Amino acid sequence: MDKEIKNVDLLIIGGGPAGLTAAIYAARAKLNMVLLENQITGGQVRNSYTIENYPGFKTIEGSALADLMIEQAKDLGATIDEFDQIIGVKLTDQEKTVETQSYIYKPKAIIIATGASPRKLPIPNEDKYSGRGVHYCAVCDGAVYEGSVIGVVGGGNSALEEALFLTRFASKVIMIRRYDYFKGEKATLEEVERNPKIEIMYNWDLVNVEGENFVNKAIVKNTITGEEKDLELDAVFGYIGNVPKTELFREYIKLNENGYIITDENMQTNIKGVYAAGDVREKVYRQITTAVADGTIAALAAEKFIVESSRK
Amino acid sequence: MSVTVYSTTTCPWCVKAKDYLKSKGIEFNDINVSLDPRAAQEMIEKSGQRGVPVLDINGNIVVGFDKPQIDKLLGL
Repeated sequence: MDKEIKNVDLLIIGGGPAGLTAAIYAARAKLNMVLLENQITGGQVRNSYTIENYPGFKTIEGSALADLMIEQAKDLGATIDEFDQIIGVKLTDQEKTVETQSYIYKPKAIIIATGASPRKLPIPNEDKYSGRGVHYCAVCDGAVYEGSVIGVVGGGNSALEEALFLTRFASKVIMIRRYDYFKGEKATLEEVERNPKIEIMYNWDLVNVEGENFVNKAIVKNTITGEEKDLELDAVFGYIGNVPKTELFREYIKLNENGYIITDENMQTNIKGVYAAGDVREKVYRQITTAVADGTIAALAAEKFIVESSRK
Repeated sequence: MSVTVYSTTTCPWCVKAKDYLKSKGIEFNDINVSLDPRAAQEMIEKSGQRGVPVLDINGNIVVGFDKPQIDKLLGL
């Protein structure tokens, strides 16, 4: 049986803040659009327990913010498909084809908003203990470690914020930081320093984790003296940056050397009618607000492109 | 056809798995293991691990939202 072909105006790939914002604008522009999400709609924002720097909200749970965006998009008539999977794409200036498990989409324009996934801890036993002591999402997996000792690796906002979140379960949180400073917001660092459950180990690098069925210790190395020692703990959460999700598009879309999509300031990629928005783009600062801004511009640019190409 | 989903209150993949079953018109037992320790133990024994969701489809255990496997077991 041949797959059904779906001719749509706009296909948005990815349902995080960038994709959802694009969906809101596209729906209000009455475009015939579909948003595809192959994991959880809301994207990375859902994994932040508390967000306190999104304008308009003094404090809001990541899940709550994600749900508000999704509800708004759906209420405006946006179509979100969470159950399909893209298996291949073909992208040219003249024609775009996106094949999924269920359909063949032929959109006039595409917005790639696939975001990024957490960079894995570069330790030998990462794969062996992934999900069994090695984790990247405190909101998802922290609750399992009630009363345990948990290590957090990373130097930015996420590492600091998630360490604070983990104190609601952990008996102790150990921050394993390979330099003598943190890159995150001072306000958050001060909260971490004040928290009696959190110990900061500056100038230590995580070398490996070991255990039986589950992790029961970490091996750390001092970056100044070279001394190695064992830390007894039950889990390590990694917050060491993100890797862009661009494998699917590699053949057609120009990427920088780290795999991020290169665009002009109107989100246009090297292919006419294909745009990129959010964390997946080459840029210096990645925040919810910048993702939302990208989604807006991409949707408006895509709309202009769609209208102009139907005039030809 | 007997389908049971073991999930916790705050797990997004659990919501997705249940939404998927609902979208296909499949009825299922919805067991919240964070409220029911006996059920949590049952889930750990059936699946050999602690993660959610766990689906029991006619005695076949699926860990996580493994759509191809779920489709196969449900004959979709």
